[in-house]
Amino acid sequence: MTIMKKTTTLAIASALLSATVFGAMAEDYTISVWAGGSGEESDYRVKAIEIAADLYEQEAAIRGEEVNITVDTQLFSGWDDFKQAVTLAAESGTAPNIIVSGHEDIGPWAQAGILRPMEDYVDFDAWPLNQVYDNLIQVSSFDGKIWGIPQDAESRPFFFWRKNLEGIGYSAEEIDALPQKILDGEYTLYDMLGDAKKMQEAGLVDDMKGFMPRPSNGPDYWQFYQSFGGEMVDAETGKLVFDKRALTDMYQFFVDAVEMGVVPATYLGGDWDTWHGSVSAGKAGAWHGGTWHYAQWTKKNGLDDFFGNIVYTLIPAGNENGRANSITHPLVYLLSTTGSDDDAALSADLVSIASEPRINALHAMKSSHLAIGKEELNVPLYAESRWATEATKNLLPHANALPNSADFGVVWTAMFKGLEASWTGVSSVEDAVNAAEQTVGNALGDKVVYRNHGM
Amino acid sequence: MRSRTSGLGLLLISPAMLLLAIFFFTPALLTGVFSFTNMSSSTGISGGAYVVTPNLLKALSARGMQPATIEALEEASYSVDADGLAAARAADVDPAFLDEIEARYAGRAYATDSDFLAALKDLPSRPRRIRDLKLAMEPFTKSVLNVRFATEELARTAIAERVAGISDDEMATLLSESYTGWVWTTENFGKLFAGHETWRIIANTIFYVATTLTLFNVTLGLFLAVTTFYLPKKLGAIFTVIWLLPRITPVVLYAIMWKWFTWDDGFVAVLAGELGLPSFNYMKGSVTSAWTIVIMVNGFIGASFGMILFSGALRSIPIQQLWASEVDGATRWQQVRYIILPQLRWPILFVTSYQTLSLLTSYQEIWLTTNGGPGSTTTVWALESFRTALFNYSGSLQYGLGAAMALLLVAVGLMLSIIYLRLFRFGELVTQPKIEF
Repeated sequence: MTIMKKTTTLAIASALLSATVFGAMAEDYTISVWAGGSGEESDYRVKAIEIAADLYEQEAAIRGEEVNITVDTQLFSGWDDFKQAVTLAAESGTAPNIIVSGHEDIGPWAQAGILRPMEDYVDFDAWPLNQVYDNLIQVSSFDGKIWGIPQDAESRPFFFWRKNLEGIGYSAEEIDALPQKILDGEYTLYDMLGDAKKMQEAGLVDDMKGFMPRPSNGPDYWQFYQSFGGEMVDAETGKLVFDKRALTDMYQFFVDAVEMGVVPATYLGGDWDTWHGSVSAGKAGAWHGGTWHYAQWTKKNGLDDFFGNIVYTLIPAGNENGRANSITHPLVYLLSTTGSDDDAALSADLVSIASEPRINALHAMKSSHLAIGKEELNVPLYAESRWATEATKNLLPHANALPNSADFGVVWTAMFKGLEASWTGVSSVEDAVNAAEQTVGNALGDKVVYRNHGM
Repeated sequence: MRSRTSGLGLLLISPAMLLLAIFFFTPALLTGVFSFTNMSSSTGISGGAYVVTPNLLKALSARGMQPATIEALEEASYSVDADGLAAARAADVDPAFLDEIEARYAGRAYATDSDFLAALKDLPSRPRRIRDLKLAMEPFTKSVLNVRFATEELARTAIAERVAGISDDEMATLLSESYTGWVWTTENFGKLFAGHETWRIIANTIFYVATTLTLFNVTLGLFLAVTTFYLPKKLGAIFTVIWLLPRITPVVLYAIMWKWFTWDDGFVAVLAGELGLPSFNYMKGSVTSAWTIVIMVNGFIGASFGMILFSGALRSIPIQQLWASEVDGATRWQQVRYIILPQLRWPILFVTSYQTLSLLTSYQEIWLTTNGGPGSTTTVWALESFRTALFNYSGSLQYGLGAAMALLLVAVGLMLSIIYLRLFRFGELVTQPKIEF
């Protein structure tokens, strides 16, 4: 009995000791990740990190290490509140380890010192990052460094409701040929306004619903600037560009649309739910949105036959100066300077694992985004989606991204304020453009190239 | 005895003074400080560093900096030499790995990150983690490009090492241009008044404050106070409580109720349709209706404030004066005009001045309802200041400019307070009574 008791005591003691030893060897990490502009359908932006943490723990166990990772996730549905939260948290040293944001935030945040360069933590020449599209890696770079890993890709197309086009005399063949006609510059934004007006006159859509642009600010509006020949960056100097003629033509286009009665002067600031409801039910003649809206319309708004009802195209050219185009606005995984270097190294490893084609495809398919790497096209879940495959093939080759610059936000805000002022009629187009030019000039001076200044 | 009382008074007031200092004076002071900086989300708040980047070199080259200097700074290279090895040992790089680096690569130079990384990956003792490999590379770098130097001195030393014989002028230009943090400036105020947009927002703000104050905070407040005063007490109390609802409802809930009320298919749109009027989103569908809603949303909250204050003041009017006026045959209007209003001068002054300041600085109701739209037609100064400094879609937060806007608001508020006090002869209202009770 005594021997038995002694053995038991020894066994318990050794178990406790080994638990203590192993406990001391175990590494515990808490990694936080915040994603902006993400609703329930985009939750894989953060869930992918949880999956990656699970894989990382299993790989570590095989190597004989015990790593316990707790992933704290937070989704922000908007951008304004998210960007405010990230910047202020970073200043107070409480930013999340991993930030999922638009690539255009790299410029200001890198300069402000709240990001760690991703290239210092991962190997872009090794799997899975070596199969990520080069142009997306470019989009994640700023001023000679790679600051992020692409999280998704998308494109922002133009849409027409087929039946409404048929109602004003288009044949099925003509509708199918429309994307090519737009790509060739034979069908312009003004042709679209004409068709939208005809749809209203024919009673196919309500008055003021012929053309339903995005109801709020977004990279989309830069597409119209490009449609009228504007460029955002000067290829030679790398400086931002303020093209007065393109901006004037762009503002004038929306003012003309108001004058033709196909869109209200008070349109901007409208409600997204109302917009989704209208465009997915054929109540609009033409509109523009994002490839990811496919998920919203088919899953939430009850649009059963997307391809039977809708034809998608690039944003048409506005005039002879511009071209048909589309903007892609990839989100990127970024590393904050909050936390230890070890936390950052682990965070980078997790992001790297989360970029595996199979894991990224979960996000792409749930939220109707596009692949970040070529191998993702071979993932069955991705390959079987007609929308993803077509959008990748037909839209992405013509898409460009917003510039990564610490100063682009200033130009963007000025552009949109001018658009609001001229669209609602509180300023003339000329005054709105001059005000935007003045704002940009005051804030950035010769950091910006001013084109067609004396037009 | 007297001094002991003062000491006690100071002691009693000290918690309030402390709170005031933390929550009022410090933020106000910081607003003043921020407004004289170019602080933004690009410069950060806590201070900058010195970083020479490719874009900066491109810009400096265009501005005429010596090509030799630019080339020397542009060169990004690694070399495995004694200095690098010593620095790596000091940085705790695995000694076995360093021995291998020394044995295999001593004396070699690498032009790019990826070349050196590829070379290190070939070594048997290479660390498994990529981060550890990159940390092992750092001591061997000879480049200043994209290195974040925390102080000017560190940057100066590194640049001088990299560019032998750099002139003082070029060094000064490099240091000032490579600084990423904020600097002191007085330009914010000039920038504000350079554009038409500012004047439009000022006009919006004046319109919003004047209309809401006159129609609702004072006139409706007075009307409600006087009418409930003449109602039987219980009925008056019920009306008072109903009019308090906008004030006691949480602002988000209150704004959502207005949204439902005025939405595309909301009560107002449906009712307007039934009456043969245009049926649309009255909150955002037209500039006139948007302003009407903004003023009503704020006005109903403000009216209850006036009502409570005026009601209290009315109750303090000796009732005998009203009885006497009735004996003299005065009508209700004459009672209001000659007895009530003259005795409400102080509360009217208070409501006018307090609510002017309150309306000038309030933006939350507008933000939550029209959000300054359609377009930016209902944007007021406080909302614009909030958006500039803290809340906009592109994330370009200009703390300095936003603070300058807020500071102007404080200055306008102070000026208006002084004007109101003079206009309503505040001094007379607070003079000592001639008779001591």
